[in-house]
Amino acid sequence: MNNYQCVVRLNKPSMFSSTKVHIKNTRGKPLTREEIFNKKPLHVLEKIRENLERLNEKMEIMIEIQKHGNKELQPLSDAPLDVMTLLSMPDHLRKTAMTICRCGRATADEVAQQTSRARAVESAYLNQLVIMGYLKKERQGRKAYFYADRDNQGDH
Amino acid sequence: MGKIVAVHSYKGGTGKTSLSVNLAATLAKHGKKVCLFDLDFRAPSLFAVLKSENSDCWLNDYLNGTCSIDKVLINVSDRIQGNENFYVALANPATEAIRDMSAKDRKWEMRALGKLLSLRNSLLRDQKFDYLIFDTSPGLQYSSINAIVTADLVVVATTSDSSDVNGTSRMLKELYSLFEKKTGLVLNKVLDTALLSNKTEMKARVKNIYQVPMLGLVPCFCEVLRAEGNLIFAQEKPNHPFTKILNDIAKKIDSNEVN
Repeated sequence: MNNYQCVVRLNKPSMFSSTKVHIKNTRGKPLTREEIFNKKPLHVLEKIRENLERLNEKMEIMIEIQKHGNKELQPLSDAPLDVMTLLSMPDHLRKTAMTICRCGRATADEVAQQTSRARAVESAYLNQLVIMGYLKKERQGRKAYFYADRDNQGDH
Repeated sequence: MGKIVAVHSYKGGTGKTSLSVNLAATLAKHGKKVCLFDLDFRAPSLFAVLKSENSDCWLNDYLNGTCSIDKVLINVSDRIQGNENFYVALANPATEAIRDMSAKDRKWEMRALGKLLSLRNSLLRDQKFDYLIFDTSPGLQYSSINAIVTADLVVVATTSDSSDVNGTSRMLKELYSLFEKKTGLVLNKVLDTALLSNKTEMKARVKNIYQVPMLGLVPCFCEVLRAEGNLIFAQEKPNHPFTKILNDIAKKIDSNEVN
């Protein structure tokens, strides 16, 4: 039974310092120290880790946005991930997108193995491609899978 | 796992189809399980070259998602002695089909890319094909770029024609390099006998112009032109120099000599 919720709240990029991790029970009240350590502590830690990973991904995206500016992140209206789109992409994103095209479905780790770049870098590029609307992201447990949704993408 | 080889060129008439058919036949003769794909939907030609019977399912239908790849493949092993694993996937030559294919939108092209990429699982992994050879449309258009993106190796056919040399070198620098594709060049229909006699110099010259390795140098053989596309040279003229050059190219591809 899942009796606990872990909520990581990220307010604004400029407010990283105020990021807080709250562990609450299902009634919405913060857990006491006793509750955390006596009842399923491993499960709670798992939740914290999972949410910290998500937080990390969000931070990576923000760092990328700051590095490259916002112009690359504007999705073209109704633009699927076709070869002409791949051609017009900046080099660093094309490499990532091509790897997903070849693999079909992959985690940031798997993409990083193919491109010989760092996992954190690939995670940022993959999330950037998700924001641009070219890739879809799906979570399975602690792993996040990225793929090009060829059956539904671009249909509006 | 097997390989996907796309045969492409900047201009038409460089000998792509002839190279594709004979490369596929040569690999089949070497005992490989091969399928030749006609991805030139604007001007389908393998239908005529292989004199295959009318098909119920064309490659067009597979890309449209209306039929499985198994129904598209036609066994043409009767054209190659001693090999039962030579298949072909044909493009529909009907005018209506050509018109239909040239009117496809970007979403369709994206799905077509997915369909081509999935051949890696369905044919190379599951059905243990050694080679899929893609005969493509010339120039920069969706069907040929889809084929290039899908392929492990691209064989670029070019001639000595100055507009072809110029266009091919631009295409290699501005398109192929973006996709980081393994590429080999075949200089076809070479008339310059002085250059043919000095192949080392020719290879250096080609490497200097195109910045990619040369896979083969094919002189202009009147017999090939005279056959009017009706012969699979690799099969029917085993001792012809054209067949021997194709043998060398096939060996280079099979031993991963192109980097």
